[in-house]
Amino acid sequence: MKSIKNHLMFILPLVAILLGAEFYLVFDRTTDSYAKGLKEGYSMLVVSKSPVSLDHLQSLNSQISSSEKIERQKIVTEIAKGVSKTNEKKILSALPHFYSLHLNEYVDIEKLETIKQDLEADDNIKKVETFGTAYSSSYKLFTFIKLSLKIFIVFMAVVSFFLIIKQMEIWKYAHRQRMQVMEIFGAPLMLRSGVLFKVAIIDALLATIFTSLFFLYLKFQWAAHSGIDIMMENKEELFKMTDIAVLLIVALFIVILAVYSVVFTTKGEEE
Amino acid sequence: MSNVISVSHLTLAYDDGAKEIIKDVNFNIKKGEFVFITGPSGSGKSTLLKAMYGQIKPTEGSLLVGGLDLASARKSKLQELRTHMGIIFQDYKLVNEWTVSKNVVLPLMIAGYSIDVQNTQSQRLLKHVKLSEHGDKYPLELSGGEQQRVGVARALAKNPVVILADEPTGNLDDYSSNVIWDLMENACQQLDTTVLVVTHKIPAIFSLPYRHFIIENKGVYEVH
Repeated sequence: MKSIKNHLMFILPLVAILLGAEFYLVFDRTTDSYAKGLKEGYSMLVVSKSPVSLDHLQSLNSQISSSEKIERQKIVTEIAKGVSKTNEKKILSALPHFYSLHLNEYVDIEKLETIKQDLEADDNIKKVETFGTAYSSSYKLFTFIKLSLKIFIVFMAVVSFFLIIKQMEIWKYAHRQRMQVMEIFGAPLMLRSGVLFKVAIIDALLATIFTSLFFLYLKFQWAAHSGIDIMMENKEELFKMTDIAVLLIVALFIVILAVYSVVFTTKGEEE
Repeated sequence: MSNVISVSHLTLAYDDGAKEIIKDVNFNIKKGEFVFITGPSGSGKSTLLKAMYGQIKPTEGSLLVGGLDLASARKSKLQELRTHMGIIFQDYKLVNEWTVSKNVVLPLMIAGYSIDVQNTQSQRLLKHVKLSEHGDKYPLELSGGEQQRVGVARALAKNPVVILADEPTGNLDDYSSNVIWDLMENACQQLDTTVLVVTHKIPAIFSLPYRHFIIENKGVYEVH
């Protein structure tokens, strides 16, 4: 019973850290995919005096990924209903050229303003409309959610870190006598810390298994049947099999660090 | 006969040399000798013993144990030397979560002997210290005298070159003390093991003319 309690006291904070790490990975992947969606859905409008090529636009700012020419004829047809063909041609020739531009990443509002300024610096470009207000609000919401989750993950990691330090103190107390006696009789470091390593590695494996099972449940049960579109669409992003390796590496790194800290601070005979 | 312990102009100090405990002492101990070092509390007896198993580094001079200069020995060499030593403590220093048998064979475990060898040796050693029936018990289930006999059995496990004993009977009654002294004397006489005992007072049962050093005013002097 005492042994199970001792294991749990290390496994639980370790699981908390691993949950934080996995949430970070999942969030990073889903926000990347969300940012990609926002990026693809966003375009700015450029009005130019004469036709401009994509190369020219990209030479003005490298963050422009593609340009789409908006057919002027359609605009004229819409606005010149009942106007003679001659006048329609005059209107068409007087109209500037319109382009819808796409960007290669989801940029913040300052960068958007820079792109606008770069484009407007060209004499041929008459106006750039970034639709900045709508863009800004969705970008701010996006960054706010991202920041909130990161703060939460850091908070969880800090709390868990202190719990692990507490457990290390317990380890130190529980294993000190054996390690000191073994050291006096000439046992090398690996032998005298072997039991501690064994305990810690078992805890790391258990913590990885618990965290993976939790996320597999989220992926195959909760997300799949949640009825939430974004969850169901991004189900695959929720947990990947390679994440098990990442979690195991993180867990092993933490426990090895913890064990070495205990071993090196438990050196020497009790004075 | 060759020297097992050779001390030359040895100074031991704590606090980076600020607090000298032993100053400029010289003596040699040969193979198979039984030696007492006595002195009042706080005179530096235990410090000298700790230096002999490498727990404290010499501040000045040289301290050779089994030919290894502990002033400059590397950690790996020091670990190896300790596997050839038997160390007995006043507070026994047994591992309480291990059985008596496992405690006894600790030096063999460290040396990498097989489980079979460890089991055989454990039985032999426990029989030697008259604790055969206590192998499966834990140290805290034994009396102080019995725990110290486990400590002696552990010290003898690997036929050590030298046994260092720090107040081995300090916590024991007269009967238990006599058993411990007998075991150590036998080890010295039958196995030709060097035994160095640090104690505040030589027990009365020792009638043989063993070498005796006194620590006084930071110096170590032989009593003739």
